[in-house]
Amino acid sequence: MTIAALASGAGGRIPVKLHRRVCLIITEDAVLAEEILARKKLAGEVVGRLTERVLLLRPGRVEAVLQELQKMGHTPQVAGKSV
Amino acid sequence: MKAADLDQVRSTLAVYDETLLREVAARLVKPRNHWSRHELINKCLEVLQNPPVLDRRLADLSLPLRRLLGLLARSRQSIWPLASLFELLLAFGEEPAAVGPVVQDLFEAGLVYPVLGGNVSRLGSFGYWISTASEGPLYVLLPRPLMERVRLPEVEQTHLGETLPEVTPRRADGLELLLRLAVLWQQVYSLPLRRTQGGGFFKRDVERLSQDALFNSPSADALRTIPDPGFLLAELAERLGLLLAVEGEVRAGSLPEEWNEGLWPALGAIVPQLFRLCDWGPVDGYRPLSTHNQPFASAYLLTLEALGQTPSEQWLAIDLLQDWVQEHHPFWARSGVRPSQRGPWLEVFLLGVVWPLGLIEATQHQERWWVRFSDWGRAWFLGTPLPPSPPSFPKTLLLQPNLEILVYRQGLTPALLRRLSLVATWKTLGAACTLTLEAQTVYRALEAGETFESLAQLFEQHGTRPTPPGVLDLLRTWANKRERITVYPAATLLEFASARDLEEALARGLNGFRASENLLIVASEDQIDFKQFRLAGSRDYGLPPERCVTVDDDGVTLHVDLSRSDLLLETELPRLADLVERQAGNNRRIYRLTPESLARARQAGWTLYTLEQWFSQRLGHPATPAAKLLLLAPQIETPRLRQLVVLTFADAAVIDGLEQWPQTRSFLQERLGPTAVVVAEEHLPGLQQVCSQLGLKLPTTIEKLPG
Repeated sequence: MTIAALASGAGGRIPVKLHRRVCLIITEDAVLAEEILARKKLAGEVVGRLTERVLLLRPGRVEAVLQELQKMGHTPQVAGKSV
Repeated sequence: MKAADLDQVRSTLAVYDETLLREVAARLVKPRNHWSRHELINKCLEVLQNPPVLDRRLADLSLPLRRLLGLLARSRQSIWPLASLFELLLAFGEEPAAVGPVVQDLFEAGLVYPVLGGNVSRLGSFGYWISTASEGPLYVLLPRPLMERVRLPEVEQTHLGETLPEVTPRRADGLELLLRLAVLWQQVYSLPLRRTQGGGFFKRDVERLSQDALFNSPSADALRTIPDPGFLLAELAERLGLLLAVEGEVRAGSLPEEWNEGLWPALGAIVPQLFRLCDWGPVDGYRPLSTHNQPFASAYLLTLEALGQTPSEQWLAIDLLQDWVQEHHPFWARSGVRPSQRGPWLEVFLLGVVWPLGLIEATQHQERWWVRFSDWGRAWFLGTPLPPSPPSFPKTLLLQPNLEILVYRQGLTPALLRRLSLVATWKTLGAACTLTLEAQTVYRALEAGETFESLAQLFEQHGTRPTPPGVLDLLRTWANKRERITVYPAATLLEFASARDLEEALARGLNGFRASENLLIVASEDQIDFKQFRLAGSRDYGLPPERCVTVDDDGVTLHVDLSRSDLLLETELPRLADLVERQAGNNRRIYRLTPESLARARQAGWTLYTLEQWFSQRLGHPATPAAKLLLLAPQIETPRLRQLVVLTFADAAVIDGLEQWPQTRSFLQERLGPTAVVVAEEHLPGLQQVCSQLGLKLPTTIEKLPG
């Protein structure tokens, strides 16, 4: 291993912080995220905007968010759901 | 299924008290050493999974018990009403006085287990448990590994079959019940059923189940109508997992996977559930929460056994078969059975329920209905080789430009039926069924794992004509629309210290969606090779927020412990405070509450209540006075600014006396402290005069404060 590699920590274990069971919405573009934030009922369920396309939801409020998105005419895909 | 049964056995044995467990283990395991409870339970489970030992234990049983277990095993249903065991033994000709000890022997041998409610924490004897039957029906479990080993002993049977001359057997295609279950599933998917506290359905849902035209109407080739078909479907659907009882509602579950495996597995999954029907019976139809329908479970099994004993080319007259069952079954054999209970219930069951499942063939001869097992029925009940699957006609549907789908029944398979039930709504059932594609139903199919490509392929593969381009465009639009928003109900996020670390992780093969320069969303935690990472912290968002912030004495400087903080905090804090310093070394970050930052919070809707909540959750104590001041400052009423004459004494007792004595009390205003009191300037001469009469001399000039 080179000195540069050692200095950069390459090959070692990467420090990371793990966030489990996070409720999120990822939109196709920033405009769609804005549209969601502009909806009063949804804005109350969004606790933060991690990036311009990623919204952080209040834990345990996914069902309410899905219903509201469907009322808006969206058909969101739910990661990990099966019928 | 086997594992679920063994888990249930384990939890039941755990409830047995020490003596009972040792008694059961002595028969089932025959231990040579003194083992602990835990070891005994494990040994019992080992025996249940050990075919040679099980065979020896079964061989030790008396003939009636082997006959009972053999017959129950043929049902492929592992949960049975306890009453059915008694009824079957009596039907075999056992003496009523002997039946109780015989059944108890089965429990003591560890071959059947009581199905205990969640409120039972200890079981001391089977006799006591059986005596609680008056409080409600009791059920027993026959573990599936045992059912697979039991063989029905050869016993002398009465043969009721006859050879009929030149009759045409009528056979069902087996799809009718599957179609109706799918229709019910779709309706419950749109609007769940609701249960009352008593366990029945709400009036609105009783009307839905009893009046729906689609699943209540008799099919064109039905041999016999049945009472309350909607309720029969609802109960079967719940047993099969198509419907799930959740929090007082009955919601749509999953369409059974067996439907993808072909017609025989799809139907084979339904038949055992007929023996578990409680709320529906062939005489009265829907009779919820009663034991009214209980005798039918064992009667159905006796019926199938009589059919199984009949040579394959012979037929059984249903009325004769019913007479035979009623003659042997203790429910009908007793005196005092109402005439309505002796109605043609077996004809309803066999022609209305069993025949549509394809289990039997039927024919009419000399104005009587005759039945016999179909090839598939014999295979299912007697274990003979399975007949070949029905011929397939893949090109069986017509998708029209108006989004209507026409499906010809002869090409329909359970797998196709399952996929169509996900993607479109059933509108009519018959020799040719119709469905309608809708945005919501396509969305449902996409949620179930379909894609635009798979749907296009489905219609291509089964369509008698090419899919209309307009329909394909619509499918593509709906599918694309779904791609626009993804909701993660429980994602796993990896937060890296830097973008370089994240790229290094990707280079090492970690897959995920990059949400920001240092955040990666991973679909499942199983995809993470934890050997590659050093966990700097872990946070579960299903748990309440963690206290990870401390505040300095100034009331405004906040220290965040990054190893315990979460993303919620990191999105909340910038609204509330300004970042002052990042201390990478000790994993802390410092924020400060400022008038500007709290003005931002105010604009974002923060109130004193939310500030207090936040402090309580994140710091574990109420908001600091300084924080409250900064948040509320613009809302504080304008204070008064005035000059006061303040009289101070060295001794607080003097002011106490002046306040108490009526002659001086009226001259005093607000007390500022123990030794200071405000006197209105115009009252000063009056107070001086009264005090001088007392000999207390007050100053005559007002002292100016320095500066």
